[in-house]
Amino acid sequence: MITENSKIIKNRNIKGEYYQIDFYSPEIVKTVFPGQFVHVQVTGLRDKIFRRPFSIFDVSDDGVLSVIYKVVGEGTDILSKLREGEYCNLLGPLGSSYQSPEHNEKALLVVGGYGSASTYLLAKKLKGKGTIFLGAKNSSELILIDEYKKLGFDVKIATEDGSVGKQGLVTSLLAPYLNGENLKVYACGPNPMMYAMGRMLADTKINVELSLDHPMCCGVGACFACVLKVKAGNEQGWEYARSCKEGPVFNLKDIYLEA
Amino acid sequence: MADLTTKLGKLILKNPVMTASGTYGYGKEYSEFYPLNSLGAIMVKGISPEPVYGNPMPRVCETASGMLNAIGLQNPGVEKFISNEEYMPFLRKNSATVIVNIWGKSIDDYRYVAERLDDVEGVHALEINISCPNIKEGGIAFGTDLKVAAKVISEVRKATSLPLITKLSPNVTKIADFAKVVVDEGSDMISLINTLTGMAIDIETRRPKLANVTGGLSGAAIKPVAIKMVYDVANAVDVPIIGMGGIFNADDAIEFFLAGADAIAVGTANFINPTAPIDIISGINKYLDDNQFNHINDIIGKVII
Repeated sequence: MITENSKIIKNRNIKGEYYQIDFYSPEIVKTVFPGQFVHVQVTGLRDKIFRRPFSIFDVSDDGVLSVIYKVVGEGTDILSKLREGEYCNLLGPLGSSYQSPEHNEKALLVVGGYGSASTYLLAKKLKGKGTIFLGAKNSSELILIDEYKKLGFDVKIATEDGSVGKQGLVTSLLAPYLNGENLKVYACGPNPMMYAMGRMLADTKINVELSLDHPMCCGVGACFACVLKVKAGNEQGWEYARSCKEGPVFNLKDIYLEA
Repeated sequence: MADLTTKLGKLILKNPVMTASGTYGYGKEYSEFYPLNSLGAIMVKGISPEPVYGNPMPRVCETASGMLNAIGLQNPGVEKFISNEEYMPFLRKNSATVIVNIWGKSIDDYRYVAERLDDVEGVHALEINISCPNIKEGGIAFGTDLKVAAKVISEVRKATSLPLITKLSPNVTKIADFAKVVVDEGSDMISLINTLTGMAIDIETRRPKLANVTGGLSGAAIKPVAIKMVYDVANAVDVPIIGMGGIFNADDAIEFFLAGADAIAVGTANFINPTAPIDIISGINKYLDDNQFNHINDIIGKVII
């Protein structure tokens, strides 16, 4: 991991509430693995000091690093107004990554909202071999459908309002697909969705990786702010792990699911 | 090039820049950015007798020019700290100058940890954190009661011959009184300030932003309080002083030296700029050169009143 002053190549609204920003960050791009994130110092953030963490959506051979984000507070609001040619200092790549399936494992990607951005580099690595289940509240929250189709993925969609695909939660699409052998599930979405998937799949033999993030501070594992419960061999059965270091990608078998 | 060699009693450091306890883990993370032995010293995250898991989330929140934290002193406990690869052995392998911050829920806890660390190779000093709650006395911080603070230092003093630094809490009316009392009980040095108690409320949920309700404020917002307290303590006692609180760059550090600090520690700044301590060392060098000072000592306590 390193810091790199990165020039903004492009920054725009792509659909609904989603924005995409592309940074020229050739040194960071060299060592990115799927599922990792980058910690961005938003230039012009006035008196707020924290970096903002974003999943790395895509990287290019030319050293461009892309992030998809929503405006959810002061930091992302100012980020959305930064212009081409301005610079942000990026810290990364950070965190654990999605582990490629074993040679005979079939990949099922399950994503909610812009969780689809987190699994894109993984999908590229899988060379079209897999199925992706995309879920969102409504059609304007669905992104990257065409991009996954272009990779050759089998795309299944569910929206809570039924405007696209099946009506309901994306997890309701999964049942028929979970009976096969040698499955590997990769999931990214809002935390409640991650824990729901965790509880749903905990008693199966399926190999599951979940991307779970909690609000971060340092991003590198030094401050212990972003912890979540993982299984431990102690009396209480759990301890805290850092979602920026041991995570954000966790294997389900390591996660401590509250009763 | 000025001479940054820093003499803190028996402790001789290559420069006066340290990293503050709680902001640097046990050195592993930031060692990827620069060699740990470039620093004057590393003050590791507070060690208690047993492993402590820490507080529920949310543990931190951003505030204007700073942050609140209620991490809850999560640490592996003294036994794992001494023997697990990723802690003391790692620090020794990287030739770090290690100052171990210690804490406890009772005075016995402090004494126990000090005894265990007394003869551990590579431990250069202990920093006694008295800003944690005294569980036995209803949770009031050890460091906000003169008699209790005195007792902690006196017990730790009996338990070890290592250089002792007492880290003072700023949440008191007269910090100079605490400085005097801990020095009288055998503290070789003083470090200050720890965090200021604070709180933040989310107006959408109408709940505190921290699960612990209250937390410690750090960052640039507290620097003026820290400098004033360093100045007060420097005028009250003769022992070496390690100043900290909102140091983000060399200019900030110089203020602390002028106020009377012999050394400084960088904390919250690490989260924003992973190379902050290294940038500060070179900035201090530049200030001394630009102002024709040959030695860091030439500016310590030299604020012109």
